[in-house]
Amino acid sequence: MPIVLRFQRVHSCPPARLALFAFALVASPGAAAADTKTGEQIYRQLCVRCHGLGGEGSKKHPPPLVGDKSVDALAKLIDRTMPEDDPDQLDAAGSAAVAAYIHDAFYSPTAQARNKPARVELSRLTIPQYRNAVADLVGAFRGPGKWDDKRGLRGEYFTGRGFEGNKRVIDRTDPEVRFDFGTSGPAPEKFDPHQFSIRWEGSVLAPETGTYELVVRTEHAIRLWVNDPRTPLIDAWVKSGTDTEFRASVGLLAGRAYPLRLEFSKAKQGVDDSKTNPNPPPKKASIALLWKPPHGVVGVIPARHLSPNRSPEAFVVSTAFPPDDRSLGWERGTGVSKEWDAATTEAAIETAGYVAGHLAELAGVADAAPDRSPKLREFCRRFADRAFRRPLTDEQRRVFIDRQFEAAADPETAVKRVVLVVLKSPRFLFREVGGGPDAYDTAARLSFALWDSLPDDELLKAAATGKLAAPDQLAAHAERMLADPRAKAKVRAFLLTWLKADQVPDLAKDPKRFPGFGPEVISDLRTSLDLFLDEVVWSGESDFRQLLLADSVHLNHTLARVYGADLSPAAGFQKVRLDAGKRAGVLTHPYLLAAFAYTGESSPIHRGVFLARGVLGLTLRPPPDAFTPFPADLHPTLTTRERVALQTKPQACIGCHGVINPLGYTLEHFDAIGRYREKDNGKPVDATGGYQTRSGVAVKFTGAPELGRFLAGSEEVHAAFTEHLFHHLVKQPVRAYGSHRLDELRAGFAGNGFNIRKLIVAVAVVSAFPPPEAKSSPKKP
Amino acid sequence: MALRRTRREFVRDLGISTAALPFVLNLSGLGFANQTRRKQRLVVMFSPNGVVPGAFWPDEEGEKFTLKESLKPLAPFQSRTLVLNGVCDRVRGDGDSHMRGIGCLLTGVELFPGNVQGGSHTPAGWASGLSVDQEIRTHLQKDPATRTRFGSLEFGVMVPDRADTWTRMVYSGPNKPVAPVDDPYQMFAKLYGRTKDRELLKSVLDDVRDDLKKVGGAVGAADRKLLDEHATFVREMEKDLREEKAAAADHPVPQLEPGVKKENDRIPAISKMQIDLMVNGFAADFARVATLQYTNSVGMARMRWLGVTEGHHELSHEPDKNETAQDKLTKINRWFCDQLAYLAKRLAETPEPGGPGSLLDNTLIVWTNELGKGNSHTLDDIPFVLVGNGLDFKMGRSVKYQKLAHNRLLLALAHGFGHRLTRFGNPDFCGAGPLPSLT
Repeated sequence: MPIVLRFQRVHSCPPARLALFAFALVASPGAAAADTKTGEQIYRQLCVRCHGLGGEGSKKHPPPLVGDKSVDALAKLIDRTMPEDDPDQLDAAGSAAVAAYIHDAFYSPTAQARNKPARVELSRLTIPQYRNAVADLVGAFRGPGKWDDKRGLRGEYFTGRGFEGNKRVIDRTDPEVRFDFGTSGPAPEKFDPHQFSIRWEGSVLAPETGTYELVVRTEHAIRLWVNDPRTPLIDAWVKSGTDTEFRASVGLLAGRAYPLRLEFSKAKQGVDDSKTNPNPPPKKASIALLWKPPHGVVGVIPARHLSPNRSPEAFVVSTAFPPDDRSLGWERGTGVSKEWDAATTEAAIETAGYVAGHLAELAGVADAAPDRSPKLREFCRRFADRAFRRPLTDEQRRVFIDRQFEAAADPETAVKRVVLVVLKSPRFLFREVGGGPDAYDTAARLSFALWDSLPDDELLKAAATGKLAAPDQLAAHAERMLADPRAKAKVRAFLLTWLKADQVPDLAKDPKRFPGFGPEVISDLRTSLDLFLDEVVWSGESDFRQLLLADSVHLNHTLARVYGADLSPAAGFQKVRLDAGKRAGVLTHPYLLAAFAYTGESSPIHRGVFLARGVLGLTLRPPPDAFTPFPADLHPTLTTRERVALQTKPQACIGCHGVINPLGYTLEHFDAIGRYREKDNGKPVDATGGYQTRSGVAVKFTGAPELGRFLAGSEEVHAAFTEHLFHHLVKQPVRAYGSHRLDELRAGFAGNGFNIRKLIVAVAVVSAFPPPEAKSSPKKP
Repeated sequence: MALRRTRREFVRDLGISTAALPFVLNLSGLGFANQTRRKQRLVVMFSPNGVVPGAFWPDEEGEKFTLKESLKPLAPFQSRTLVLNGVCDRVRGDGDSHMRGIGCLLTGVELFPGNVQGGSHTPAGWASGLSVDQEIRTHLQKDPATRTRFGSLEFGVMVPDRADTWTRMVYSGPNKPVAPVDDPYQMFAKLYGRTKDRELLKSVLDDVRDDLKKVGGAVGAADRKLLDEHATFVREMEKDLREEKAAAADHPVPQLEPGVKKENDRIPAISKMQIDLMVNGFAADFARVATLQYTNSVGMARMRWLGVTEGHHELSHEPDKNETAQDKLTKINRWFCDQLAYLAKRLAETPEPGGPGSLLDNTLIVWTNELGKGNSHTLDDIPFVLVGNGLDFKMGRSVKYQKLAHNRLLLALAHGFGHRLTRFGNPDFCGAGPLPSLT
């Protein structure tokens, strides 16, 4: 069976070269008998005359060879009808070969997309962009929050039951909420153990987008507010029965801080009977504030996600959207569907309701104010300006604001009309259709690249005053914006995508072989990976190579026990140098090693594919068939490496596996949960491997650190990382910004000591200038 | 000849199959086509602080009885009224009488121990079981023939903004109190918000379409396809909205008096708005069960519009010999009865959609209270005044029982809906099943 392996970086090869590679490799396998011809040979011999070399057609047969038939359907059609003058010239096998060739080379929609010159396509907002944009559109009227270096929550402790100011005896910052007061008060000499109350206040930062379950454990009365300061998320102020755990869920967007308040009361409500009943038996009191993040387990909310600063409420659209297109490896907004349109309508209605319900606060005008109507018009104008990322023209102002106020019976209805018509407008829903190109487009490109959201006040001001033109002006803004938690969340999401960990792999392992490797360990490993990524990116050097070289792993007590480090039971996450320098950054991070493994055995193939595709940027075809790995118990004398070698020995496999396996073998010192091992199946581990670079140099390396050093110094790796980053941030093909852009960015990356943050700024700046082809096309509406 | 003819009988007589009905009659309320029994509804109306027994309970038993001062407003409906005396709340345990009075009233079961301290007795939490209105709601929602959009609606009038044992009567389960909606605008949004939103959306569609056209004209040909597709979806939405509007024409959205604030002196206005919304909701078949809770147990309304300046609860503590106070309390209860009469009148004058008669023919209103008498805090002789013909009870009577547990009345309500429970709440008080001599 022929196997095709294309040594080509995604989208970085011109089509001609691509076809050549495909040809070379299709032709090479010796499985094909000497007298059988490849599909391309047949095509050149019998078809080119009418259909043209690239299927473009000819004078005699002008229609191009494009369509969406499957390879099989195409083969049958060719066998029946082609060549037109003599269909018998081609048998079924020949037809199939030709069909497979043209399908892949130019016929199929995928081939067309690959072959056509890249351009910046009109895009709607992706779902994260939509949710962030609406949150910031409403949030602009509340002012920014402050996420500084302070961690934990403000804790105020009262001797009374009603949080009366004169009864406050402690005011401090608590890193987290986890207390057991026993049968006395928080400070025994200061509190009556029968009656005290505590209020914790501050903000909670959501590290990823999704549903968070908040959990409070206590024997007493509590109320918890998260985001919405008006309605408690959990109201257990009436203590009733024996429940000691209270749960509720809330949807949060990544990279934002939300106001949080927790009130605790060890006291009776209602009538004060302390005089008639002064000495009731003492009761225990404890409290813990926990959460279950979207992909985690229930645990105490750690200090690093808490701040004693207050944050403004954020509006999180709860309407469900159909998923974005990810067929190219990054989320794109280049398609619309009826479901998407319906979701934008629902979300617009939801937002209109929210704005109307918070109108006095957002517009800063009292319900009874005499100048309410003009003030609301002004509010609506600012709302529309911000949604459209540029000031309204006079004509737009008449349509979007004045007409809505004239048509509505009352100002609330007018505001709702404005919100609906603005949020349903393509000027909001699509990128760069509302005017330009000008500095406002530049501002929006920067903010969507770094935040997936609308420009803030500073960007808009710079655009309005002509201070967003030179690259260094843009770079200064990009650097400022990078410090925002929204940028940090986006960068982390990118790194997890790069590591193929964004879709949250299933890490469940064989409980007999790996007892104790349960959801808690998996969740801690994810945290460990997050901490490592954050540390590398946001450290002073922000050195990309550290991602592939660092010999330490972030461990807490739970992980230390699994991975053989010595930490005290109270230890939180900290950097631990593991296995005497045998580790190499993400390449040996246990989370990824466990993800690229079976439930019982390591998987050099999964690890090799990750290294080849993800890190080196190679395009690998999927295997021609689905294969079940050889089970270990049927080959009791073999190591994992030996089993893999045996299974991929056939000539048909080796085309790809000749690349995959030698990469994956280098990580064989790590078992299915990423623990270091000297032996596999009783034999010493063989971790030798290698790689033939695109320029044809054969490199040999053994074990993870050598692999890490090779990859950290490889231009292929730098280019693949740069390209991946560009696509994730900008959501347009980098080729559309000029054929040398990727090389320039990669060279700049190397010149800056592989500083990731500087690369991000460079990508944002490049993407903020209109690409050469697009400069002339949009007209002013 | 029977006057009650169901739509099914009508259609059968016409000789049209029910499958063809939608096409022949073009009716939106097709639920009726499957109706085998009449629609039944239950309303529980609550007012607090007990009653003045001498001005409340009829002296006579049986069909011939005289309405006392507190019940005078029911005169037009006397033949459809059933006054039940001698029904007692026997549930004891944690909590004071006001707390148990409201918390066990519809649940028939003890309160959990908790941290809410009343004026006497031990502290308590929420009720440890669900209330009978929610039991009946669940029963009706299980059956597609009786299922409605909301199942039940919980109305309130001036309920304090605090969740505790004194402010909650309805429970969807143990420890699961249901907050009544005491803001008519909020209730309106719940019932009609979607309709209003869709109307609003329709009103801006022209502007959306024009805008799309303008923007579409300004982008390059390669990108226009995406916007064209988008425009198609907007047109489809417009079509959907037109069809929705046609379907909704049967149930006009009620108009509310604007700007009524949650203030003591606006209680009469709020009460009227809530009753109007409830009747509209029944006509649109949004729900078959409703509760209407005036203030709360220990309610503090000051009925200045009656010339009563004292708070209701403090007045209710006055001794029997304080005649001025008893007169005022009688006035207060008469005002609550006025609200009951208004509800009955609105139901009586609203035709039953798709059926003969009026909404009141198929609705039973139960007016009740957390106490028998305010100054004694007794849970004996809890007021239960029933109006309307929603269940097959024999109306137009005054019935006096010898201290029967109110759990048996709760059972009777469930049985009236064909929900034949053998026990509800604390089984010790379910005795020989539903109250006798109701039907």
